[in-house]
Amino acid sequence: MAESAGPESESEIARLLAACARQDRQAFQRLYEMSSPQLLGCLVRVLRNRALAEEALQEVFIQVWRRAAEFRRERGSSWAWLIAIARYRAIDLQRRERRLAGAGAEGIEDIAGGEEPHDSLMTLGHRAATALDGCLAGLQPRQRDCILLSYQGGLTHMEVADRIGEPLGSVKSWIRRGLAALKRCLES
Amino acid sequence: MKRDEPEMLDLLAAEYVLGTLTGAARRSFARRRERDPFVDRRVRAWEERFAPLAWRLAPVTPSPAVWAAIERRIGPAPRRQWRALAAAVAAIALLGLGWLLWQELRPGEPQATAVVASEEGATLWRVELAADGDHVEVATIGDVRYPDARSLELWALPADAAPVSLGLMPASGRVRLALDDRQRTALAQAANVAVSDEPKGGSPTGSPTGPVLYVAALART
Repeated sequence: MAESAGPESESEIARLLAACARQDRQAFQRLYEMSSPQLLGCLVRVLRNRALAEEALQEVFIQVWRRAAEFRRERGSSWAWLIAIARYRAIDLQRRERRLAGAGAEGIEDIAGGEEPHDSLMTLGHRAATALDGCLAGLQPRQRDCILLSYQGGLTHMEVADRIGEPLGSVKSWIRRGLAALKRCLES
Repeated sequence: MKRDEPEMLDLLAAEYVLGTLTGAARRSFARRRERDPFVDRRVRAWEERFAPLAWRLAPVTPSPAVWAAIERRIGPAPRRQWRALAAAVAAIALLGLGWLLWQELRPGEPQATAVVASEEGATLWRVELAADGDHVEVATIGDVRYPDARSLELWALPADAAPVSLGLMPASGRVRLALDDRQRTALAQAANVAVSDEPKGGSPTGSPTGPVLYVAALART
């Protein structure tokens, strides 16, 4: 898809996934070497715990190995496929952990961490502009912050609200409107 | 239903991908995605749209233990390949060792050989006195007609002494007949061996009692 021109390794990752579907272990190892640092980056960002993130990474690659045959190149990019598996895993795990821990204010502070959403937006600015960059830049700042916080940090509405110190209702509405605007922008 | 309007569905898909769809709503949407290709397409579109945000996060190199655990969990195939290689190497080493041992331990050339044949010239047995002289090996090499309920007995025929029994001939296959000193001495002095027809189990007297069926020259090597 045009709005997500993948990393240069896109076609290589797709080829490796096809080989994994044929139970090619060498390809699987190569895939792991190429993609695991990026996926662990995602997992750490959501889970805020290195050991837990590595455990999740293990689960993610077991799933990748078992489900490689489900990847269809014509349906989307291989990176998006991998990242989706990792993010869903991280989100499920994070919410389970938080339920078990009983999220107090302290927990949320810890989860949100010290990183500002603007950092990633600044990072985006240094990279070649993609359609997504352009469209994110066109959002109202609060909409953009909320979307980036929830996507990259895996935060819920409530956690985003606590993190930026705004009412829950506002956060929900910023995200909803931001998403709608993003879609309109990306499809235009 | 209002929630099923495409706009609403698309928003749900976006919030599902984002992670802000939570709890029971999230689980039910995940199930719906599984069985509804229309919903699945919308989810995939959002996964694709947001993916650049994920790969721009700082990468973190996993510790080596993660790959080791993954390999363990997906099963033993690479290990099996490795094992096969190790087994092949071990087998080759064993063959080499076996060959060396065989070289070391294999019997040398027999001291003497006699081929027992019928009057018509059909070869029946080969009798070999082992290199170390402690046994005789008898191999059936022809079509032996062994008499029912009788035994065929092998004798050493020393030049100046009575025949000395060496044991019973096989009806088929090969036998190894261990030799005592008396038998060894007899063989050392014998130019021939003989085979006689005896009661089952061999001559009861220590000397041939039945007819001598075959005599064969003992060729020293």
